[in-house]
Amino acid sequence: MRITTEEKNATRERIVKVAVELFKSGGFEATTTRDIANSAEIATGTLFNYFDTKESIVAALASEAVRRSRKSLITNTDRASFEEDLFAVVASELRELKPLRKFILPFLEIALSPIIEGRRTNTDELRIGHLELVSDLARQRGLLEITPVGLQMYWSLYAGVLAFWASDKSSKQIETLALLDESMNMFAVWLRGTDKNLERDQS
Amino acid sequence: MTINVSELIAALPGEEDDAIAQPSSPATESSNHFSSRPIPISRFRRLSALGTLQAKIAAAYLFYWLRGWFKSADEKQRLLAEAHWRTALRLLDSMGYLRGAVMKVGQTLANLPDIAPPEFVETLEKLHFDAPPMHWSLLRELVFSEFGDDPERLFVSFNKTAFAAASLGQVHQAQLRTGEDVAVKIQYPGIADAIQSDFRNLFLFLLPGRLGRDWENTRDQMDDLQRRLTLETDYKMEAENLRQARTLFHEEDGVVIPEVYPQFSTPRVLTMERLRGLHLREFMATNPSQDERNDVARKFVRAWYRLMFAGRMLYVDFHPGNFLVLDDGRIGILDFGCILPLEGDEWELFRKIDRPLTTGRQDDRLAVLKEWNDIGDDEPDRLRLCDEFGLWCWKSRFNAGEYDFGDEQDFRHGVELFGEMVRKRYSRSRANVITITRGNFGWRSIMYLLKAKVDIRAIAEEEVKATGWDRSGYAGRTLA
Ligand SMILES: Nc1ncnc2c1ncn2[C@@H]1O[C@H](COP(=O)(O)OP(=O)(O)OP(=O)(O)O)[C@@H](O)[C@H]1O
Repeated sequence: MRITTEEKNATRERIVKVAVELFKSGGFEATTTRDIANSAEIATGTLFNYFDTKESIVAALASEAVRRSRKSLITNTDRASFEEDLFAVVASELRELKPLRKFILPFLEIALSPIIEGRRTNTDELRIGHLELVSDLARQRGLLEITPVGLQMYWSLYAGVLAFWASDKSSKQIETLALLDESMNMFAVWLRGTDKNLERDQS
Repeated sequence: MTINVSELIAALPGEEDDAIAQPSSPATESSNHFSSRPIPISRFRRLSALGTLQAKIAAAYLFYWLRGWFKSADEKQRLLAEAHWRTALRLLDSMGYLRGAVMKVGQTLANLPDIAPPEFVETLEKLHFDAPPMHWSLLRELVFSEFGDDPERLFVSFNKTAFAAASLGQVHQAQLRTGEDVAVKIQYPGIADAIQSDFRNLFLFLLPGRLGRDWENTRDQMDDLQRRLTLETDYKMEAENLRQARTLFHEEDGVVIPEVYPQFSTPRVLTMERLRGLHLREFMATNPSQDERNDVARKFVRAWYRLMFAGRMLYVDFHPGNFLVLDDGRIGILDFGCILPLEGDEWELFRKIDRPLTTGRQDDRLAVLKEWNDIGDDEPDRLRLCDEFGLWCWKSRFNAGEYDFGDEQDFRHGVELFGEMVRKRYSRSRANVITITRGNFGWRSIMYLLKAKVDIRAIAEEEVKATGWDRSGYAGRTLA
């Protein structure tokens, strides 16, 4: 039996939709792939044609959210500094990721792991995309190339902010904004500092 | 800009030299008035050179200011206390948001031109109008999280650079869809919690510095500051104060309180009518005539009494930046973040004070002061000082005729009495007495700044009617 792309997409969408509902109501940990398949009215085997694990459902949602956030970033370009660029990148991601906040933590644990050379997962794409964007922004601001060490440092800060956000108890996650602001400032100041050191070494 | 703490700490009023650090013997203490204290100018010059570290200059001044309380302690204790203050300052440096709090202390000091050196006051003015620390992307997120929409869509226009700094945030010019020009005050994210925990940390560090009476004194000031800051972190409260205050004034009063736009206001964002005019210092810089200054002073006094008697709101935050002289001659009053509601005990106090305030008789004054401050018969010095300060505060009111508020000698005398009261801890007897006293002192420093010569008795007599008090026993009579 052949199924059309249209049908495939519809099933995929249905799976994602019921999965989000289940995660929200029962929690991410307690929800099994079988629960998801049942709710989506498909066989568990069929579910695996679409997603390997429940984590990959969240990964797919997160990827979409991040893609949308990049678009809004392009429309809001009025920024004054590298730290503001970084702040805007992450803030726009958080806006789009907001509906996933309650159950995103287990996914973040994998996606944000500071060990870059880990096993390959389908979250690599997210990480690479994000770090490339950060490097591009630094270049556009006329800063030197960010070294692998620099990127690792950035990633640790970024991971810290997202993990904090996922469990931020302050109203409207206002404290995440403060942490994000300070973290990005810290990185930008550090980067400019190393820039100067390099220049000095070269001259 | 990297912050260099060691430089700052080195520039602090120091251990080794400055005149201020010399131990004072009890004999010199009595003649040691605030106004005649040596001020370590060179150190302040060095501090000013640190440029964008203005917030830390305020921190350094806090240190200097509080150090004054330790003057009577013996040398060893004093040095110990200083060591703790140094540690506290280092800690202060790591606490981003408390700098806002320190600015507040600084502003209070800037009100006391005879205590604070001119260099310091100038630096503070800059601090108050300095470039904002929040960038547009952060502001956008803050607005979005409060209102669920971006500022570009909520407002016709929204100026991305702040036109003024507030102690806990910054103020932006914007225009509503309905056309009104507004000032939008936006708070730093998470500042309310930050202040609470910063104060907790600061106290932990200061704890070993306890020095009996002097420590209590410092503590009172810090407590007072913390109370005020906590109040000020809720813009909803300020909005409500503004709303109430606004209903008290009419066209003929020449006093404007900005209108609040509640649909664009939350506990962290306050959107209000933008007032346009000159701040008091700017106004003074235009060399206004005595008549013009008197006119502003009369409106200012009327506003203060109106708020007090009809509104039962005690305005205590007398920063000159909070008062504007508008283009049409009216005056604008800003910053209703710190208002002491006059109710219960406080209202009772004001009712009782009305008698000595009106008659000017010492007997009346002593009776109220004794009762209110719980002054025992074994505290003659305390009673004397309270009476002198009471007389200083109130004589401009019961004296019929023009009072010269710009008289430097007189003003200086008040500063000295006030300083002595604070140092001797005489002002502390009930909660809020410090705040009330400071308020009393604050309005006088504005009148002094204006170099006003006015008769405020007539204004007071008109305004006090709103209380409905039975004043038949004493009102209408004057001092023999
Ligand atoms: N409605 C307004 N119209 C014009 N200017 C305003 C208005 N509100 C605030 N400002 C400007 O912003 C400054 C700071 O505002 P405000 O005093 O309300 O803040 P704050 O946090 O209480 O600060 P502070 O207590 O340090 O003065 C004012 O001194 C004034 O210059």
